[in-house]
Amino acid sequence: MMLNLLKDIWFLFGRLFPFPAKPGLRRAGNPDRLSLVLVTCNFELTVRKVLRTLECDGIDAWLLVAPTKGINVWCAASGGYFSTDTVVSIIKTSGIENLVDHRDIILPQLSATGINIWALRERTGWKPRFGPVDIKYLAKYLECVGDPFERKYRRIEFPLGDRFVMGTNLGFSSLLFFILPFLVASIWMDGLWWKSILLLFFLAILNSVLVFLLPGKPGVQKGFSLGVILSVIFVVIRQNIWTIGHWETLEQIGWIILLSTYLGYDMPSWSPLWRAEIKELVMGVKRTLVEVIPEQCIGCGLCTIVCPAGVFELDSGIKKSMVVRLDACQACGACIENCPKEAIKNNFRSGTCSCPTCTVINSVKSSKRKVLHP
Amino acid sequence: MSTLVYMKILERTPEKYDRGMRILTLGRIDRIKLEIASLWVKSGHYVLEIGCGTGRLAALMTARGAHVAGIDISESMLTAARRNAPEAELIHMTATEIDKLERNRFDRIVATLSLSELEEDEIAFVLRDSFVLLKTGGKLIIADEVKVPTWRKRFLACFVSWPLSVLTFLLTRNTTHALKRLEGRLEQTGFRIVARKNYLLGTLALIVAEKT
Ligand code: SF4
Ligand code: SF4
Repeated sequence: MMLNLLKDIWFLFGRLFPFPAKPGLRRAGNPDRLSLVLVTCNFELTVRKVLRTLECDGIDAWLLVAPTKGINVWCAASGGYFSTDTVVSIIKTSGIENLVDHRDIILPQLSATGINIWALRERTGWKPRFGPVDIKYLAKYLECVGDPFERKYRRIEFPLGDRFVMGTNLGFSSLLFFILPFLVASIWMDGLWWKSILLLFFLAILNSVLVFLLPGKPGVQKGFSLGVILSVIFVVIRQNIWTIGHWETLEQIGWIILLSTYLGYDMPSWSPLWRAEIKELVMGVKRTLVEVIPEQCIGCGLCTIVCPAGVFELDSGIKKSMVVRLDACQACGACIENCPKEAIKNNFRSGTCSCPTCTVINSVKSSKRKVLHP
Repeated sequence: MSTLVYMKILERTPEKYDRGMRILTLGRIDRIKLEIASLWVKSGHYVLEIGCGTGRLAALMTARGAHVAGIDISESMLTAARRNAPEAELIHMTATEIDKLERNRFDRIVATLSLSELEEDEIAFVLRDSFVLLKTGGKLIIADEVKVPTWRKRFLACFVSWPLSVLTFLLTRNTTHALKRLEGRLEQTGFRIVARKNYLLGTLALIVAEKT
């Protein structure tokens, strides 16, 4: 109990760091030979969350905790640690083949970035499919598998709770990487280092929590807007609007705007909705592009299933997939990895979601993927 | 910005791996590979290499006239290996899939610094299946990081090994676990230990086990 609390406190700040749980087979409830088989990563927080959710929903299942080096699903899948190989391995070593009479296995949707479902099927003889985007939707998802309604549970979201936690993490990671400038700044600011740290966390949390309300584009613009708004409030509250010309006030305002702009710039990499600007720099493309080649598409619909951003829609009349929300594309690469006909043109080299771990330039994986669109 | 730093920290490349491993084992690993190829592998042998990495050992063994099949799960490692050991047959395969290969076919199965990257269950699987794949009299050759058995030595080795594991991560982006009770496990599987050599205060070992 106590231990879990300590872990949870750590996860409030240190999600960036891998935290492994022991890989292997777990039971949720009392699974039997017909029960569901689920796969997840071995990030401790995720394993606990999955087991808790299954218990609350009263679902009996076998849970395969894959050895993903203690990294969460999306990041591990993007970084090549949660791959077809990983799932092959956990199926083999867990002994699940002797425990159930069926061969259906549900993978987390976000693992699609690293797992090729067709290769997995061929190599293991199991019938894998991608489940919902978050384990909390599993019960609902199971009720409507195959229904177009199911797609509701396939869109990545960024609710308030997550925004808060990502804010604290954004603050912590920035602090880690910028400890030196902070020390320097604190000397310059007469030893007010703890105030600067508080300010950093305050700005990071606000940047994340208020992200939908702030004017401007996600990134530098939103961060800057927040900085300006807060500065105005700061000046008004201190009621020293007349002292605005004073050196000290200007200094403080400058500091707030600067810090907020930086945090705003880093925020997208902590969100599941926007690409980190750094990622675009790394990939060397301003705008990601995905396009379905109609002649090659067989209308299997897998791209509509794996895409966490709802980019594709299947035209059931002509049995072709179409790009309908290009703006939302995360360049995660899940559709490209899984399209059986290589029918999706793209202009980015490899799949990386936009969180920091994933932004690992995946030179390892990119050699495997074809760049269809130069 | 924090993402860029982190990205650089986690980036893995074959070059980094090779260089890292060489530094970490203070050059021992190259010598061990030479020794494996010259002492334990003969012309005409069928050899399976688990985790062939950049293909250095595979190249040495094919040069000796052995037929080498190497498996690895990293495409970039395999690309490097195809360059370094063009005569070996190199396949993308996990260590837990070797049960798909032909039984009683191999004279040698070698694994250098690859078992320590696997999970406990995976290691058990590999040992069991290696036994099945080897011909009678065939040998499993493992060179890897091992846990030192006695407390006194372990204490000493601690000073060497913990900075080394931090270094391993920094240099290769790999996390490894030193192998525990390897010889005992080999014997349980049915192997007979025919040779053991220790390096670096007993933290690195070369173990040769025979299928009797
Ligand atoms: S684009 Fe590919 S994955 Fe999508 S429906 Fe067509 S064939 Fe299937
Ligand atoms: S369209 Fe974009 S976001 Fe959707 S799966 Fe493909 S790469 Fe990922």
